[in-house]
Parts: sequence; C-alpha cells; structure tokens
Amino acid sequence: MTTAALSQPVIPPDDSISNLSTILRALRSGVIVVLALGLLAALFQAVLSPIIASTGVEENVTTVLANALISLLPVFAYLACGSSARAAAPRSFMRAVIAALIAASLLFVGITAIESGLHLGAFQPRQSLQFTISQSDDGVLVDSVEAGGAADQAGILPGDLITGIRRDPVTLESLQKTIATSNIDDPLRLRIIRDGEETQLTARVGEGTSFEMSTLINSYVIALAAATAAVFFPRSWVAYILLILSLAPMLIGYAWLLIATFSVRTQGLLPIDAQGNVGGITLQNWRFLVDPLGSNQSVWTITLNTLIVAVAMTIMVILVASMAGYALSRMNFFGRRTFLSFTLILHGFPAVTLLISIFFVLNFIGKIPILGDIFGYNTLGGVALVMVAFELPLGIWLMKGFFDGISWDMERSALIDGATRWRAFWEIILPQIRPGILALGIFAFISGWNAYLIPQTFSIGTRTATLSVFLRQFIGDTAPTDWNQVAAVGIFQLIPILVLFLFAQEYLLNIYAGGLKGSS
Amino acid sequence: MKIAIENLTKKFGAVYGVNDLNLDINDGEFVAFLGPSGCGKTTTLLTVAGIYKPTSGTIRFGDHIVNTTQPRDRNIGMVFQSYALYPHMTVFENIAYPLKLKGVSRQEQHKHVQQVASTMGIGELLERRPGQLSGGQQQRVALGRALVKEPDVLLFDEPLSNLDARLRLTMRGEIKQLQNRLGITSIYVTHDQVEALTMADRIAVMSKGHLQAFDTPEDLYDRPKTLFIAEFIGNPPMNFATAEIGGIDGKLTMQIGALTLDLPPKYAGKVGRGQVTLGVRPEDITLVETGGVEGSVFVVEPLGREDMLDVRIGDQSFLMLADPELRIKAGNTVRIQFDMDELQFFDLQTEKSLLWQ
Repeated sequence: MTTAALSQPVIPPDDSISNLSTILRALRSGVIVVLALGLLAALFQAVLSPIIASTGVEENVTTVLANALISLLPVFAYLACGSSARAAAPRSFMRAVIAALIAASLLFVGITAIESGLHLGAFQPRQSLQFTISQSDDGVLVDSVEAGGAADQAGILPGDLITGIRRDPVTLESLQKTIATSNIDDPLRLRIIRDGEETQLTARVGEGTSFEMSTLINSYVIALAAATAAVFFPRSWVAYILLILSLAPMLIGYAWLLIATFSVRTQGLLPIDAQGNVGGITLQNWRFLVDPLGSNQSVWTITLNTLIVAVAMTIMVILVASMAGYALSRMNFFGRRTFLSFTLILHGFPAVTLLISIFFVLNFIGKIPILGDIFGYNTLGGVALVMVAFELPLGIWLMKGFFDGISWDMERSALIDGATRWRAFWEIILPQIRPGILALGIFAFISGWNAYLIPQTFSIGTRTATLSVFLRQFIGDTAPTDWNQVAAVGIFQLIPILVLFLFAQEYLLNIYAGGLKGSS
Repeated sequence: MKIAIENLTKKFGAVYGVNDLNLDINDGEFVAFLGPSGCGKTTTLLTVAGIYKPTSGTIRFGDHIVNTTQPRDRNIGMVFQSYALYPHMTVFENIAYPLKLKGVSRQEQHKHVQQVASTMGIGELLERRPGQLSGGQQQRVALGRALVKEPDVLLFDEPLSNLDARLRLTMRGEIKQLQNRLGITSIYVTHDQVEALTMADRIAVMSKGHLQAFDTPEDLYDRPKTLFIAEFIGNPPMNFATAEIGGIDGKLTMQIGALTLDLPPKYAGKVGRGQVTLGVRPEDITLVETGGVEGSVFVVEPLGREDMLDVRIGDQSFLMLADPELRIKAGNTVRIQFDMDELQFFDLQTEKSLLWQ
C-alpha cells in the first residue's frame, strides 16, 4: 500500500446498507423490549398473580401491574426503537427519524399481529349484546340482531324499541355504557316496546370479537409519535426521569399530607367538600392549636412537655455519652471490653421487652422524696431518663469512635503544655469532636421528640402527655378517625424536626464521614 | 538540667517496652535515641515526659526523682511527629496555650509569643489556623509552642519524619543551631541515623528495649564496640566477612576464603588467633590499577555522586563506592584494596569488638 492510498479519507459506508442496519438495530431494540416486558407481564399474570390470589387478597397488585405493563408495552418498545435509531445514526437526525419511523411501523405490524392472536389491544373482546342499535325518539331502536348472539338468544328482534333497563330509562349512550361496564354473563333486564306492547326480556351480556379500527389507528399514531420523540429526546434525561418517577410516590405522599390538613376530605390529591365537589378548603383541622379538643391540656402545654423531654434527653445523652466514650477510648480499666460488648447487646435489645421491669424501677424511684417527683413514674423526667438509657448505647459507641479518631499526640501535647487531664479533655479534645457531639445531640433530640412507646407507657393522663401521645388520641378505637386531623397534628409535630434538619444537615452528614479530618 | 535514667523498665502487660535502661544526660546536652521501630526509644521519651509511669527504676531531673511527677509539673517542651497542633486554635493561641495554662497575664503572653514567633520566623502567621499552614510551618509552630514556656528539657519525637527531604535538611540545621544557642537539655528520638549523627552530641542506640551503646557519633562510627553498632551505623552498611587470623614470627595474616592478606602489626595482641568477624566500611575499600585483589563486579547502583559496587571475591561480597566517571559495569573485573588501618574485628561468639572496649 502506498502512502497516497493511506492518506485518502476513509470511504463512507454505503448509505443503503447503513440505513438498513440502522433500521434493523432500531427494530432489534424494540423487539427486545417487547420480549422482556412481555415475559415480565406473563410472569406477573401467570406465576405471581395466582400465588397472591391464593393468599386471599381480592384485587391484587400483580394483576394491576401486569395489565399496566401490557398496555404500556408497545409505547416502551417504540421509544426503545427511536432511541436506538438515534444511537445507530448519531450524526444525522433525518436518517434517524426515518429509520425510527420505518422500524416502528414494522414493529407495529408485528405487535398488531400478536395482539390479534392474543385478543389484546384493538382486538380485546368487548362486552356486547351482539346487535346494532340507534337512537330514536322514544328510546333505542334495535336495527339488526346477530344470529345466535346474546340479543338473539334473549329473543330480541329487529325493530324492538328499548326504553329502559329495569326502571331506568335509557338513551343510546347510556345503554352502550351500561353494556360496556357490565361483566360477561351479567343479566340485563331490558324494557322493550314491541308492537306497542311493553315486555321485559333478560339478555346475558356476551363477548363481541369485532375489532375497532379507531383503536388501531390511534395506536399507530402513538407508535410513530413515540418513536420520533425518542429520537429527539436527550438520552441524559432518561436517568432523571426514571429517578423522578420512582420518587413520585413519596412526594405524592407528602403532598397529600399537606393538602389533607387544609381539606374537609380528599379524593386523591384533590380537596373535596362533604358533597364530593372539588373545594372544601378549611382550617378546621388546625383548630387544635387554639382549642384543647376534649383533652384538658392545650396543645402548647403538650408541646412544651415534648420539648422538655427532648431537651433533657439531649443534654443527658451528650453529657454521659461523651464522658463514657472518652473513658472507653482512652483509659484502660477492668471490664472495659465486657462493658463495650454489653453496651452493644443493649443497643439491640427491643425496648418493649423491658417495659414492665422499667415500670417497677420508675415506681421505686417515685417513692424516693424529691427525686421521685422529678424522675419517678408518670413524670417527664422519668420518661426522659428511660429514653436516655435506650439512646446511650448508640451514643457511647458513636462518641468512642470519634475519640478514637483523635491522635494521642494532641492530648499528650496538652498534658505536657501544662493542662490537667480534665482540662485537656474539655479544651483540646472536646472541640475536636464538636461535629460528632452536634450530630449525636440532633439524633437524641429527634428520638426524644418523636418517642411514642415510652411516653405512652410511663405517662398516664394528659398532664405529662407528649405530642406523639396526643396524636394517638385522634386515632379512635371506637369513633371513626378523622385522618385529616391526624395529618394536621402530624405536620405540627414535624415542623421543629424539619427546621432542625435544615440547619443541621451539614453536621449530620459528618457522622457518616467518620468524624473530623483534623488539620494536623 | 541533668537527666539521670536509672534501671528504667517499662512493661505493657507482659511486653517489655524498655528493659533496664541506664543513661546520664548532661546539662545542655543534645542526645539522640536511635533505633529501629519498636525498639523502645519513644517509650523512653514518653516516660521521661511523664506520660508513661515507669514500671521500675527512677528518672531524675537534677536531683529530684520525677517518677510520679505529672507532665505539667516537669517544665518540659515536646515536639511530636504529627506536630499535634490544636486545630481549633489559631497559631497565636497554640503557642500561647502553655502560658495561658501557667496563668501568665495577657500582655506577657503577647510579648512571649511575639518573641518566639519572630525567632521561628512565623511572625506573620499568628492569626492563621494550623490547617492553613504547610508542614514546615506547622513544625515551626510546634517548636515555638514547646519553647515558649522556656522549658528545662526539650523532647523531640521524630519531628522531621513528616517533612520532605529538602525541608528536613533545613530544619535539621535550625533545630541544632537553636538548641546550641539556648543550651536546653534535649532528647531527640529518631530512626534516621543521619539525623542522629549530624545533630546529637551523644547517641543512645537502642534495640528491643535494651541500650546497645551510648557514645559520641565519632565513637559509634569509627570505634563500634559491638557488631550491632557496626552494622546499624553507616550507610551503605559495613561489610562483614568471617576471617581466619594466623601468622608466624609476629607477622599477622588474615585469610578470607582463598584470599590471604597481611595485617599491620597494630592489631597484634588484640585480634588473637582463629576465626573472627572482619568488618570493613565501603569507603575504606578503593579501586587500584595494580596490586590489590581481583574481584568481579556483580551489581552497580548509581547513587549520583558515587556508584555503589557489589564486588565479589570468591563467594564473598563487598560493597564499595567508586567514581561514576570510571563507568564500571556489572560483569567487569576490578582490582580492589582494603585500607588495612581501618579494619574492625569482632568476636564470633560474643559479637563484641576485639579492638575497642
């Protein structure tokens, strides 16, 4: 080969071949999607659905999913087609669009063939009485009857005038709707005027196999539109759209929570009034802010109670955990390892199992003068004390980890500089783990604020109730629950936590970053 | 401040950190503790600092036994390998911290810190935080913090290990010069023999918790008392070979494998007869045109200023240094000569020097 030959530009591939290969690649993607989703739908329908149905759930989620998959399957396939065409012909939009359209058309033919075989889509069996009807002045006129069809079997003849179903008068539209929404084999009692005489005939709804051209045309338009859209759609957005879609249920949940607090009732995300019309915006759910609502404590007293419990707990947890963590990290004493393992076991201990024994302890404390009034049974202090005990194992381990991360040299340096052990801890070591202390404090505050089980068990009556306990009152055992009211109280309880997170998220992240990266 | 360490033993559980250490450090002396990792040099230093309490033995500062004295009452300054600066304080606050703990007034603090900072050349960094300083600057701050309270004893725990090679060289000179000027008794822990040899008045060589030697750098290098010292000090390391001492009529000979060499009479009466371990430093072996012993070059390692040669005579290997200009290649045959006045001899069993006791 000569140098001249080498320097020649690369010969562009033959256009027809490259067009064909683009179409084929687009088609292949579409087929793969069809097969994959089809198999998935079949799995839901044939394997999972019977299993779930056997557990007695009536309307099960797998059937719904399978139906959704089947109805969305062609769209996904056309999207894949277009996207793949774009990838196969990255330099020319025009060629990609044409290839996508051709591939989508071919795929459409294939999918339609499959649908006709499986009686899906446009070929889906429809409920029908197998007659043709038209609107007339007095009712619905039967034009013709299919021989052996449902209407024929019921004895309906051409020329009959249908005036009603049972007592309800019908029009062409309402009759068609009634037929379409009934199940196969449902009896329909028709009032018919034949030759001026009224009779009643019962027709059992049958299956019409006729396919609808309009459905087919619609799906073809969708196919072309989807394939073309996929060509122009930026691929980098796909990830975002998938993420947003998967996040949507959560966001919708929060949206409902907020909307519900200002509504009389809700239907979906829409507030409705008592008559079922859109509207019914109200502040009634928030009246607990000013009105004790049957409880003899105002919500503000209860909020103060909650705040006292949470703050007391935070302070105690930080104090004890930081000192215990320091001792466990820095000092060698008898039983250190045993203590550490026991702390860990305690962390895994379900609080519920200890409730009764804790009751006895609190009851005992309650009999001690002075101390009993602060930390005994049915006091805020007692509740805080118990929750501190449950929070401490985590706190101690967390603090120990933070102390472990600080070099011994810094502490030694402080001692040599002239500090006492206590002063070195206070002035040199503690400032190093400030992010850890803040994070632990926030954790402790949140768990104190949200605690339900311990306050519910150890504070009877409303004098010492906290917000979670207050919230529980609205979920009645006998009266119907006003969920919008519950949502409002829930949001009220949530607000301080949200504010806290807003300001402290940076420190909370610190806990996962494994403590401070010192500058030394 | 004189420091006397007597029979010092420090045990961690069943493990000996330091075992029966005896050491006298004179007032104003600069002593280096040299040894491989885990030899007990840092343990000894922390015991002197008062961070560790001795298991047995005593440590005296001057005439006082300080065994149970708290670190804060010993009036010492210490510089750590990690610098151990307090990241939440500014440079000023770091240096002033020992003064603040002493209860020195704010004005005095200011004066002292300014003074130390200008000595250390960090006067313009006082408002920064340690995280904003380079390694060399951090080390200067750490040194300033150790010096500010005018300590009786300065302790260094591998202070230069975290610096790059060039900065290490500068800081080495600075620390030595500073110590000389202030005359503060200093203990300097290092595993780098160049640091120890260049800076220290005396070097304590330690190994596995025991003191191996405590001598001036010259004595350690030129007159090693044990095989361990001879082996440990010097880079490239000393060559060793088993030699048979023989001879007749007061004429000494030495036989290494098939090679027989005459020994100068100065070794007579010291090396005895029979098998000994011969030691010869790489710089005491030279290339010669004629005479000497013939050997083949096994490996050549260029060190820049010199080439290090591994020369084999029989199956005995000798490391030596040669001028790179000679362009000696592996496989070449060279003639080498030992400087017969600089040989070391060690007892084969006790590994003690036969020349220096």
